[in-house]
Amino acid sequence: MTKYYEAADTTTPVRVFDARERRGNVVVRWATTTNHKTIGYLYLITSFFWFLVAGVMALVIRSELWQPGLQVVQSKEQYNQLFTMHGIIMLLLFATPLFAGFANVIMPVQIGAPDMAFPRLNMFAYWLYLFGGLIAVSGFFTPGGAASFGWFAYTPLSDDTFSPGIGGDLWVFGLALGGFGTILGAVNFITTIMCMRAPGMTMFRMPIFTWNVLLTSVLVLMAFPPLAAALFALGADRRLDAQVFNPENGGAILWQHLFWFFGHPEVYIIALPFFGIVSEIFPVFSRKPIFGYKGLVFATIAIAGLSVTVWAHHMYVTGAVLLPFFAFMTMLIAVPTGVKFFNWIGTMWKGSLTFETPMLWSLGFLVTFLFGGLTGVILASPPLDFQVSDTYFVVAHFHYVVFGTVVFAMFAGFYFWWPKFTGTMLDEKLGKVHFWMLFFGFHGTFLIQHWLGVVGMPRRYADYMVTDGFTGMNQVSTLGSFLLGASMLPFFWNVYKTWRYAPRVTVDDPWGHGRSLEWATSCPLPRHNFTSIPRIRSESPAFDLHHPEVGAQNLAQPDSALVNAVGPGDLGGKQ
Amino acid sequence: MAAIGALLTAGCSAQEVRQGWMPGEPGLTDKWDITANLWVGSWIAALAVGVLVWGLTIWAVVAYRRRREDTGYPDQIRYHVPLEILYTVVPLMMIGVLFYFTARDQAAIESLEEEPDVNIEVIGKQWSWDFNYLDDDVYESGVQVPLDGSESNEAQAPTLYLPVGQTVRFTLQARDVIHSFWVPEFLYKKDLIPGRTNYYQVTPQITGEFQGKCAELCGEFHSEMLFNVKVVEQEEYDAYMDELRERGQTGALPVNLGRVNTETGEQTEDVVGEDRGGQENSESGQGD
Repeated sequence: MTKYYEAADTTTPVRVFDARERRGNVVVRWATTTNHKTIGYLYLITSFFWFLVAGVMALVIRSELWQPGLQVVQSKEQYNQLFTMHGIIMLLLFATPLFAGFANVIMPVQIGAPDMAFPRLNMFAYWLYLFGGLIAVSGFFTPGGAASFGWFAYTPLSDDTFSPGIGGDLWVFGLALGGFGTILGAVNFITTIMCMRAPGMTMFRMPIFTWNVLLTSVLVLMAFPPLAAALFALGADRRLDAQVFNPENGGAILWQHLFWFFGHPEVYIIALPFFGIVSEIFPVFSRKPIFGYKGLVFATIAIAGLSVTVWAHHMYVTGAVLLPFFAFMTMLIAVPTGVKFFNWIGTMWKGSLTFETPMLWSLGFLVTFLFGGLTGVILASPPLDFQVSDTYFVVAHFHYVVFGTVVFAMFAGFYFWWPKFTGTMLDEKLGKVHFWMLFFGFHGTFLIQHWLGVVGMPRRYADYMVTDGFTGMNQVSTLGSFLLGASMLPFFWNVYKTWRYAPRVTVDDPWGHGRSLEWATSCPLPRHNFTSIPRIRSESPAFDLHHPEVGAQNLAQPDSALVNAVGPGDLGGKQ
Repeated sequence: MAAIGALLTAGCSAQEVRQGWMPGEPGLTDKWDITANLWVGSWIAALAVGVLVWGLTIWAVVAYRRRREDTGYPDQIRYHVPLEILYTVVPLMMIGVLFYFTARDQAAIESLEEEPDVNIEVIGKQWSWDFNYLDDDVYESGVQVPLDGSESNEAQAPTLYLPVGQTVRFTLQARDVIHSFWVPEFLYKKDLIPGRTNYYQVTPQITGEFQGKCAELCGEFHSEMLFNVKVVEQEEYDAYMDELRERGQTGALPVNLGRVNTETGEQTEDVVGEDRGGQENSESGQGD
């Protein structure tokens, strides 16, 4: 819609790196902004920076495991620091704020809002995240190095007697600070979704991504306060000689309960928003609406609900939890997750599929995450978990789950929404090179680790024996990891090339079949997002606007008992 | 990915595939077959689901790709309630079956009802193991294995002796931080947690030598907290008990013992009452 583009062009300085602007102005504008999009970009850039940092750590870890003996790192302590910080950076400084980044940029636009409900709180949350993260990682610059007790910091190993040193303190308090940023962000997202939807945007017309942001934020409110409490208690033990996690009083198990009561919902906190991203992409490139919209929403609600009932499946081998209960609840999660798979496949079914980069990444997610889900069901069974827990099987499992979700869907989202972020399209050919390198690199790294774990390689081993016979499999994994690392190069080149040379997008919807509201406004997003908002009569308002003739098909739907039962809300165009 | 799987499969023996690459062999312990059967059965079900879902995905990608001559939009199907009920209820029934077998097998594996023939207390410590043979009133105390990339030091791991055909009850304790007692071939591990006592009961049925490992991160030398397991005939077991007795290793090492100075061999004083296991003792060695 040309009128939106022209309107945008007269109101907003669209090119951030405009040569006419003094660079100092850019810094001041970004540092003082309360604009949800700019804050979102800050989140995206910062979390991607941490992704690269922790990715380099992973390459060092994989290099060290190339053969028995220490060749790359100087001590096992350094190795322990690397996997500890790799894990915590990837989870809390990359994946979680990456959700906040996508949610900040996209969610207000999807519900037709001009900004977030609390713009200044929004920026405050970002500063908490930034400085909390810097504090946690700054342990590397202290004499004793960073925290080395694993990302789940089991007590008593993580207390000051077994892990003395300022690095551990910085880890504890830095993460507690950053956690408040996450909590405040979640409050903001919930308020925005509840109070700032445009006229006509009923709950059951919200895009799936927005739904998932809402449910993720609810989970954040459930999970992060216990983490903050646990971290402060651990900090009190470390610095003030408190006795909260004294093992003589059951403190070792207490920490595990508190940590995993955060830790398991956290997995869904970083998964749900990315399920949301691919749920936006499949319909666009299948040229069909999402299949089973309400079922998908209820499945997401079920996952969110179940995810706070399964934390102790991380503790099967402690002998301290009720195995049948947690096994059953964990297996139950497979059902709504399976429903989601069928929703995604149902969206493609009888569609008209094209394979632009966002779709390719989404399919990569589907194929990869499925395997992580299957091993997850295996791990849900305590007798099997007894053998493979704390081995490379678990390492492989959770990389299939979280890498399959977060990284694949992150790149899907980047390629998909790049025109909304920058007003330019990333290069398709480079995007496909990027995808296939990453896809084979990822599976080369992690598929083999299932076998490594089953035959007996424990996780978090800095070294292994010559006679273990793990060397060959570790070398396959390490080679894969370097292909995976190298896949970032075409991406960087793509970003640079796009920034310098790509033509400006002059239409609202460069993909041609966008459905949610962000495709009914210009590229890049204008100040306050809209100059006018189209009528919202279905969950696909932009599609209805651009393709009214297709929406008319739905008027032919018979007024059956079924339609009366499930409601007309998800029958687009029907009035 | 399927191709990689096929490649891997090609390099493996039929028996390895049949037991899902689980280490050990059928009948190794009284519980080996339970776990291995559940493992293989679960994988068959999981891969069947996987093949179905991957197959549907690939089918959709191939069959519904937009062809050059295609124009316009496909039918805008939004839901199909009977199908949605189907793909909710069928997985529900599948996990019901898995849960049935899981609950049955874990009850068998975790059972302590049978009266044990041998009682052994295993104490995890940074970064090795103490074994108290309670019935024979002897003990063995291990030190960590200094791995250096060669095979020369690998034999230094302490060895846990088990009599074949006898039911052993392990009492699992930790002296300092959390450890985990894992013999990969036995298909079982359980944590050793300070302030808590765990149990594990097993009957080894085949003689042989196996590896044991600590499976819970316990500090810098976690990867060197290794031990060996020898399942031997009763006579050999008794002879080993006598050997320990002759070495003067009688009695049982307490859980809250201060750690041993590796240079002098002296035990440091027991300071558990003051500070959670004596870890502040500057002579506790090994750390640096």
